[in-house]
Amino acid sequence: MASEAVAHESEHHAPPPKVDADVVARELIATTTNASVRFKAIAWTLGILGVIGIVALILKWVNDGDDSTKWGYVATIVSFLLAVCGGAPMVAMAPVMAKANWVRPVTRLAALFSFGSVVTIIMLIPLVALLPPLVTEGARRRSIWFEAPDYAPHIWSVVGLLLLALTGIMLFYSAAIPDFASMRDHATGWRQRLGKRLARGWVGTDVQWRTLRMRIGMFGTFYFLILVFVTFLISTDYGQSVIPGSRDAIYPMSLTISSFQGGVAALVIALYFARKWMGLEKFVHLDAFWSLSRLLFALTLLWVYFFYSSFIVFWYGRSANDIATLDLLIRGPMIYAFIAGAILIWFVPWWILIWNRVRRGTSAMVVGSFIILIGLLLDRARYFVSAWSVPQDQIHQKWLKVVPETYFPNIYDILIMVGAISLAAVIIMLMTRVIPVLSVWQVQEFNLLSKPIRYVRGHATLVAKPD
Amino acid sequence: MQQRRELDQVYTNRKLLNGQLDTPKWWAPTVTILGIGVVIGLFVIATMINKGLGVTGLGRPVYWGLFITTFVFWVGISHAGIMISAILRLTQAEWRRPVTRAAELLTVFSLLTALVFPLIHAGRPWRIAYWILPYDVARGIYPNIRSPLIMDPVAISTYLTGSTLFLYVALLPDLGNLRDRTTGWKNAMYTVLALGWRGNPRQWKMQTVGGILLSALMLPIFVSVHSIVSWDFAVASAVEGWHSTIFAPYFVIGAVHSGVSAVVTMMALMRWLWGWDDFIRPEHFDALARLLIVVATGWLGFTFLELIFALYGQDAPEIALREMQILTWPWNMLFIIFLLTGYLIPVPMWLFKRVRTNIALMFWTSILVNIGMWLERFLIIVPGLARRTPFVYTWEAYRPSAVEWTILIWSFAWVTLLMLLFSRFFPLVPLFEQKESQVFTDDVMIGRAKVPAIVREAE
Amino acid sequence: MTTAEFGAHNWGMVVDVDKCIGCNACVIACQAENNIPINTQDRVERARTISWIRVERYWEGDFPDAKARFIPIMCQHCENAPCEPVCPVYATYHNAEGLNVQVYNRCVGTRYCANGCPYIVRFFNYWEPVWPESLRNHLNPDVTIRSRGIMEKCSFCVQRIRRTSRTARSEGREIADGEAQTACSSACPTSALNFGNFNDPNSKVSKMKEDKRHYTLLDQFGTDPNVIYLAKIDADKKVGAGEHASHG
Ligand code: SF4
Repeated sequence: MASEAVAHESEHHAPPPKVDADVVARELIATTTNASVRFKAIAWTLGILGVIGIVALILKWVNDGDDSTKWGYVATIVSFLLAVCGGAPMVAMAPVMAKANWVRPVTRLAALFSFGSVVTIIMLIPLVALLPPLVTEGARRRSIWFEAPDYAPHIWSVVGLLLLALTGIMLFYSAAIPDFASMRDHATGWRQRLGKRLARGWVGTDVQWRTLRMRIGMFGTFYFLILVFVTFLISTDYGQSVIPGSRDAIYPMSLTISSFQGGVAALVIALYFARKWMGLEKFVHLDAFWSLSRLLFALTLLWVYFFYSSFIVFWYGRSANDIATLDLLIRGPMIYAFIAGAILIWFVPWWILIWNRVRRGTSAMVVGSFIILIGLLLDRARYFVSAWSVPQDQIHQKWLKVVPETYFPNIYDILIMVGAISLAAVIIMLMTRVIPVLSVWQVQEFNLLSKPIRYVRGHATLVAKPD
Repeated sequence: MQQRRELDQVYTNRKLLNGQLDTPKWWAPTVTILGIGVVIGLFVIATMINKGLGVTGLGRPVYWGLFITTFVFWVGISHAGIMISAILRLTQAEWRRPVTRAAELLTVFSLLTALVFPLIHAGRPWRIAYWILPYDVARGIYPNIRSPLIMDPVAISTYLTGSTLFLYVALLPDLGNLRDRTTGWKNAMYTVLALGWRGNPRQWKMQTVGGILLSALMLPIFVSVHSIVSWDFAVASAVEGWHSTIFAPYFVIGAVHSGVSAVVTMMALMRWLWGWDDFIRPEHFDALARLLIVVATGWLGFTFLELIFALYGQDAPEIALREMQILTWPWNMLFIIFLLTGYLIPVPMWLFKRVRTNIALMFWTSILVNIGMWLERFLIIVPGLARRTPFVYTWEAYRPSAVEWTILIWSFAWVTLLMLLFSRFFPLVPLFEQKESQVFTDDVMIGRAKVPAIVREAE
Repeated sequence: MTTAEFGAHNWGMVVDVDKCIGCNACVIACQAENNIPINTQDRVERARTISWIRVERYWEGDFPDAKARFIPIMCQHCENAPCEPVCPVYATYHNAEGLNVQVYNRCVGTRYCANGCPYIVRFFNYWEPVWPESLRNHLNPDVTIRSRGIMEKCSFCVQRIRRTSRTARSEGREIADGEAQTACSSACPTSALNFGNFNDPNSKVSKMKEDKRHYTLLDQFGTDPNVIYLAKIDADKKVGAGEHASHG
């Protein structure tokens, strides 16, 4: 092809090689069948860890089911998984709406994270049981449910999470229909039958394409709204409202922002391994990492901005309540988790990502993403463990009078956390056996819409922006 | 999207320099009228300083009123420039090009105006040196850097310096252009200002790099300025309506909402007054309106969160304040107008492409937004203070006086006048950006469809 | 240990609400002592009155069991004052004697301190103060007349404190308990207002504040005031400390 001739001229700025649409379809669909030994080994390990985690959850419920102060780490893992599995699909949605070209190949992988939300729901179940009703001892505690019935937070958080998972899956499915059709045409065995069933007669007429795009836009918007809503519910009902007196209007937003951050970080990691181990270098160009890293960088800065916005108001405001909040959440027993979290979630990634050379590469990006995820976990633990460590009989106090001892994780908590993350990971890995990890039609579209050109004395890309 | 039009360079030059080379007829009378208005306003300000703040409607406990509201409003408007120029530059949005200059100008001039308000609203403006300049070193008393009011001038003057530089760097190529087309004293002026701009590749490269660096540097300032302004309010733990952790991002996104709307207003005016139909096209309005829908909706979300978390605590004073702010006369009327003009009327209208590409409608809706955003600030600042607190026998006693209204109107006349004066000497649409956008866009054929495309640097 | 040196005291006040009869003598005394401009009709209408101390009415309990109460309010001289850190020019700060002092000369009139104060006891001079001709010669020479454009508030009659400590110093003795009095406390006919030194554990006010009726106003703001209130004794019900702290 003509463009390949240009590619060989210079090593550095060579535009990525063009791949034929047919080749794209065949090769991507082939990735679903040929799982390597390594893949199988990892999947089995994670799966076993996941099962152990579930068992540990049940055992913990049997042992500590009556003491809410010991469930902070489960709350942590719920919010962590909500961030990662909920945030990732969103991150792929937003640039689509801004008509970014780089994002097209990675949308599928991002949407697959929705399936991980199943684990979030499982982990939420004991918390729902432990959360006290709105009215205890005849008094209504502070919450966003002013006149709502007693069990509103319990019901709505479950409904919200279910809805989130469902919308995420619908978002995935509506963008996957053309790929199911490709599977119908190119795959064999049960995959072909599945493709045939799920493609719902897709032949690629104009009308079908238009509905497809409309559906993606609709579910995307809807997904975003639900994600914000669910984060809002989880952060207030399972975080703030169990701390007496705490009132932090920005916290839901900080959680949403760090959800996106965690989502992008997880996506980068997944993309890195998928690209490397499944040999997708041809389809996922460095461009995608380059853009994701910029997104990650911006979100990292936003995190610290949001955090500081609330911190300064408490710190300067100095009312009894402000001081109590700082004593519990920042200066209190979790101070080291807080410092470590802030360093890992913001400071270190910031210094890694600020360098252009790093952002153009992949390995440092992956390291940065891992660091962010660890920081995210610590930061969530800082908040949720502290919040849940307050005994529930103090819930009606005007402000927290004594900072309680923090609760250290025991073996169950560790197994639960490891298990939950593994389970989510293995679910996503298994999904890549069902459908190509990159969206076939989006990769084709990506190739179609960008065209390498010679520009004055260098190379450039001409990117088409269809309406 | 409508078809791109090839505009040749001669035409571009002639059209876009029409403000400088052949001034339109309406210019002189308009400037005269505005000038008279501005002088009257300055006279009122002087009287106020001479007589004392008794001429305002302020009292106790409403110590801050229209002036601070207007200050926040203008600081908000100033967010237009960096939003449009820096952020859209960094995210490589092509459609920003023709409006960057106007937006940056709005930033500079609205900041200049905003700065006036805290000064004249102080009890003894002539003593302000105590406040901003640490001139009192001999006695060892410095300004209190713990005070948010110290951070305000610091943030705003940094922002002002930065955005002036930003404006100037972007102006250089156009100054060179003007120098080559003028004679006499004007030529001399442009020669000095153009700093020897020749347009050789090295200069272009430095200009571009300078622009990108400044954009990146300005971003943190952009965010911090309005955050710091918001913390003036948020750190006051004794004022129920103010002490909220959400204020910083809430103010920033509100500022972007009002700033970008102000840019829309300005674009419509520029198109009408100078006849730049070929450069400021409906698709630009379309793009801005799409951006505004997102920003406005995000802002509404923040408004909602702020309200929810005010009630969340279920403290009697907070609930009483909200009841006053939203449900009692006359605040309830203001609140309804604020909601309608700030969101409920413009945003649903912008959902239709026909509205987005209709210049007149965009003009009016963007003005509505700014009415709403002014009211928003008013509704935060004044009811927060006017609320009835325990152990105080006065409350809710604030009616802005004629002096305050005059000075408010003066600020608008002043900004407009500055703009018009600027337009007499410098082009309001950056010529080089306009020409660059011609080069950077192209059409590609995909199948049988012709699709607009833009050029991106290869990685 | 009390000495006449600066910084050895922590001045404070104990207000026994139960003794207050609402006679407003303190208000008048303060007005006269501190050269406070006259609250004319125009000032009242525009909510610009200045009264460093005021007797405020409030309601206790909900209708129909509501009871009308009154309570003297002045600057609480908070140890952790929200009005202090916000002042850009250090015109208000905490001195070593526990007073929240206002430096008129430095004040530029941003009025930020007034917004920060939860007790609304700071006052702004919107106009240059004027007195009728007949009152011009009655002004207290020890107290600055505040020009327009600056804030003022209760100073715990700092001029009286200074005078007492000057006298004590020159006589080479210590300030006796109760020797320094504010205008309001010396005017109060029922001794509801008691001024003294909290640093001295044997002073009258130190003993009074140990009373189990003691509370501070609006303690949710964490201001840690130097004015301590003793709750009203209600014949109808038992009174606990701090119960009266907030009212609508
Ligand atoms: S009562 Fe008000 S003016 Fe007095 S120290 Fe406290 S905050 Fe400041």
